[in-house]
Amino acid sequence: MTGRLKTPLLGPFLAPQPGPKMLGPNERLDTRMRRYPHHQEVDVVVVGVGAAGGVLVQRLARFGLSVVGFDAGPFWDVERDWVSDEKGSHKLYWNTLRITGGPNPITLGANNSGKGVGGGTVHFAAFTPRFHPSDFMEHTLDGVGVDWPFRYETLKPYYAMIEREMPVAGPARYPWGDPHGYPYGPLESGEYANLLVRGCSRLGIRAVAGGPIAINSGAYGDRPHCIFRGFCLQGCKVAAKASTLYTHVPDGIANGAEIRDRCMVSRINLGKDGLVNGVTYLDPDLKEREQKAKVVLVCGYAIETPRLLLMSSCPGHENGLANSSGLVGRYLMVQSANVVMGRFPGLIRQYKAPPANACTEEFYETDHTRDFARGFSIQTVGPLPCTFAKEMLAAKGAWGWGMRKVMMDYNHWAAFGLLGEILPHEDNRIDLSDEKDEYSLPAPRIRFELHENDKKMIAWAVPRIEEIMRAAGAEETAQEPRYAHLIGGCRMGVDRQTSVTDQFGRTHDIPNLFCCDGSICPTQGAANPALTIQALAARTADYLIAQRDLVLQKKKAPLDEPPMRPDLSPPGTLTRGVPPRLNKRRR
Amino acid sequence: MAEHLPINPRTGEPLPPRPQPGYYPDFSTLDQQAFWDAATREVVLKRVTDIPPIRFFAHDPALATALFDRILPQDDRDPDHRIPILNYVDERLSEGVSDGYRYAEAPSDAECYHLGLRGVESIAQSLHGTSFIQLGSREQDEIILSLRDNSPPAGEEIWSRFPAVNFFELLVTDAVDAYYAHPYAWDEIGFGGPSYPRGYMRLENGLAEPWEADEQRYDWEPPPTSLSGSYQPLAGLIPEHARRRQGGTH
Repeated sequence: MTGRLKTPLLGPFLAPQPGPKMLGPNERLDTRMRRYPHHQEVDVVVVGVGAAGGVLVQRLARFGLSVVGFDAGPFWDVERDWVSDEKGSHKLYWNTLRITGGPNPITLGANNSGKGVGGGTVHFAAFTPRFHPSDFMEHTLDGVGVDWPFRYETLKPYYAMIEREMPVAGPARYPWGDPHGYPYGPLESGEYANLLVRGCSRLGIRAVAGGPIAINSGAYGDRPHCIFRGFCLQGCKVAAKASTLYTHVPDGIANGAEIRDRCMVSRINLGKDGLVNGVTYLDPDLKEREQKAKVVLVCGYAIETPRLLLMSSCPGHENGLANSSGLVGRYLMVQSANVVMGRFPGLIRQYKAPPANACTEEFYETDHTRDFARGFSIQTVGPLPCTFAKEMLAAKGAWGWGMRKVMMDYNHWAAFGLLGEILPHEDNRIDLSDEKDEYSLPAPRIRFELHENDKKMIAWAVPRIEEIMRAAGAEETAQEPRYAHLIGGCRMGVDRQTSVTDQFGRTHDIPNLFCCDGSICPTQGAANPALTIQALAARTADYLIAQRDLVLQKKKAPLDEPPMRPDLSPPGTLTRGVPPRLNKRRR
Repeated sequence: MAEHLPINPRTGEPLPPRPQPGYYPDFSTLDQQAFWDAATREVVLKRVTDIPPIRFFAHDPALATALFDRILPQDDRDPDHRIPILNYVDERLSEGVSDGYRYAEAPSDAECYHLGLRGVESIAQSLHGTSFIQLGSREQDEIILSLRDNSPPAGEEIWSRFPAVNFFELLVTDAVDAYYAHPYAWDEIGFGGPSYPRGYMRLENGLAEPWEADEQRYDWEPPPTSLSGSYQPLAGLIPEHARRRQGGTH
C-alpha cells in the first residue's frame, strides 16, 4: 500500500495573506519604493529591467544615482502570480505583435522573449556558461564573424563576479574555454542528465553534469535550494533559479531605485543640443507620459532595443537614433537549437528536475577537419507535455492516434538540445513594419536567413547528438529543428562605421545614450547568453560610475577601463559559496 | 461505433472506452491538488470546471468538432472524461491570445481558421460531394493527410493564400495545447504535474514519487478505420518553410 495522501497533514497549502509582494516563498519586498515625480530629471532611465537592466538598476542605485527602471510588463509577485503550469504561464512572454519572416523565420514569444521585471531571466532555463576566449576574436582566429572590441580577459573578472551574484552551480573544474570552477557545487541530476553523461562517456566525449546553471544547489540568503519542480521555463516559484527580479532588483529598490512596471517606452527624446533628455512612455492606462533623464540606458534585448532606436527617429535622425552607421537592427543572431529526442526502454520522467543540467562543449571550437567554422554545445533540455507534443508534431509528424500513442510514452523520452553558433550577417535584421502592435506602435519585423556555415554546422551536429542519444541507450531518435536565444541588433565595436555602440554600450552618435543587453554582442559563441549579458551590464555600470562626472554632464567620457566595484554587488555576495580566488585583473 | 475504438492487437477486439486511458490507471494529479500552491490550484481547477463557451466557432461548431475529433481522437475515453478541446481552442481564438509573433504574409490565426475550414469543406465536396461531417473517419483522415502533405485536391483559391500544411500544423498545435494542458491528459501520460511547494525527490531511474504511479502497459493499436497511426516527420534539419508555433526549450 503506497498510501497516497490526499492532503498535507496540516491541510491544503493556502494562498499567502495579503501583504507585501512576495519574490519567492521567503523573500518579501518590504521596502517602500521611492517615487520620482515626473517633472524631476533623474540621473538615469533604464528601459527594460531584465538580465542587463536589473543589474544596472541595482548597481547605479547602490552607488547613489537616481534611477528609474521601466518595464513593459508587470513587476511580478512570484508567489501569487506564477503557476506550475505550461498554459497558465503564457503571460510571462512578450506576446504583442511581431512579424517574423525571411527564408528561415524564427519563432519568438515563449521561445526567447520575456516581458515583465526580470525579463528573460524569468523564463530562461538558466544554463550560464561563459563564452570562450576564442569567441572574442573569431575573425582573427577563423576569419569569420567579427572580433569584439575587447578580449575575454576583460570580461573574465565580471564573469566570476556575476557567477557569485546569481549564483551559478557547476563542477569544481569546468574544462572548456578558460577552465574554471563554480562557487556553488553541481546541482543533482535528473535521469536525462545521467543519459547525456552516459552517452558521451561511451563515445569518449567529455561531459559535465550539474551545471553551469544559475540554480541554487544550496540555499542562498533567503532563496531556497532547488526542489526539482521542473517548471524552470514557467518562472521559478521557489526563487532557486536566478532572476534579476529577486537577485538584483530588490537591492536596487532598497537603495532608492524606482521600477515603473507596465510602462512601455515608446520614444527616446532628443533635445536641440543633439543629446537625449529622457523618454516618452505609455503608462498602464496607455496614457502618454514623459520622464526626463540625464542618461538613457536601453536594455530591451535584441528586438526591442533596436526597435526603440528606430521608433525614436526625428529630424536629423531620420533613420532612427544612433543609426548613422545604418546598422541599428542588423546582425541579429539566434543559435541553432535543434532538439534531438530519444525513446528509451525504461522510464525517464523528463519533467523532474531542471531541464538545464548536463552538457558538453567538446565541439565548441573550430575544427579544421569539419567543413564549417566555429562550433556548438550539446545540452539537456526537458520539454513539458504541451511543448513535447509540439516537438513530436515536427519530429515525427505525429497527429491523431499517433500523437496519443507517442504521448503515452512521454515518460520514456529524453531530449538533448543543440546550441550552435550562427554567424552574424548584415541581412538578418529587425526593422519596423507598417502594422501596429497592441500599443499602436509600429510592430517590429524580423528577417532571418541561415547561411552556408550555419547549415553545414546543423547538418553535422544533429547526427552527433543522435549518436550520443543512441550510445546512452535510446532505441529510437527524432529531431525538431528550432532556434534559441536572440543576440545582436546594436552591435558594439571600435569603428563607428561598422558598429552602433562602443565597448561600454555608449552609442557612437549620442554620448548620453547607451544600449546594454544582448543586442550589443557582436557574436554569440555557442553558449547561452544570460551570464555574458549580465557581466556586460556590471562592466557598463562600473564605467558609468567611474565616469559619472562627465557622463552626467552628458559629455563624452574617455574609454578607459573602469576600476571594478565588487563593493556594489548585492549584499552578502562575497561571503557565500566556495570562497573566490583573488583574481588579479588583466587588461 | 466500435470501428472508432482502438483495438487489442492480440485479440483484434476493440478496447472498450475507459475513464482514463494510458498506462497509469490509478494515477490522478487532481487528487494531489491540496499539495499545490493556491495560485496553481486556482488556474488548473478553473480550466477543469469552468469550460469556456463556444463563441468563435458558434456559427458552425459541427465542422470544427468533426475536424478536432480526427486531429486528436478521444473515442477511447468514456464520454464523462473527454477533454473539450474545441472549447479551449475557441477561447484562445475569441480572446485573440497570441504567441507574440505572426509569420510574414500569413493571415492571422482567426483568418486561418475561417479559410481552412472552408478549404476542408471544399475538399470534401470535391472528392465526395458531401460535407466533411458526413464522411466516414477514413475519408476524413484522407482529407487531413492531404493537408499534411500540402497537396489538397481542391480549394486552390484558399490554399494559395496560405499553405494547407500550415493549417494542419495549426490544428494539431492548438489541439495538443488544449489536450495536454488538462489534468486528465497528465494522468494519461503519467506526468506528475504541479509540484510546488512539495517538489520532486526521486530524480533518477524514472522512479515514481510515493504519490505517483508506476507504469502498467497494455498493447493497443489505432482503430483500423484511422490513418493517423503512422509517422512521417514534417521537419528536415533546417526549418526552411516551417510556419509553426513553438514553446521554449533552452
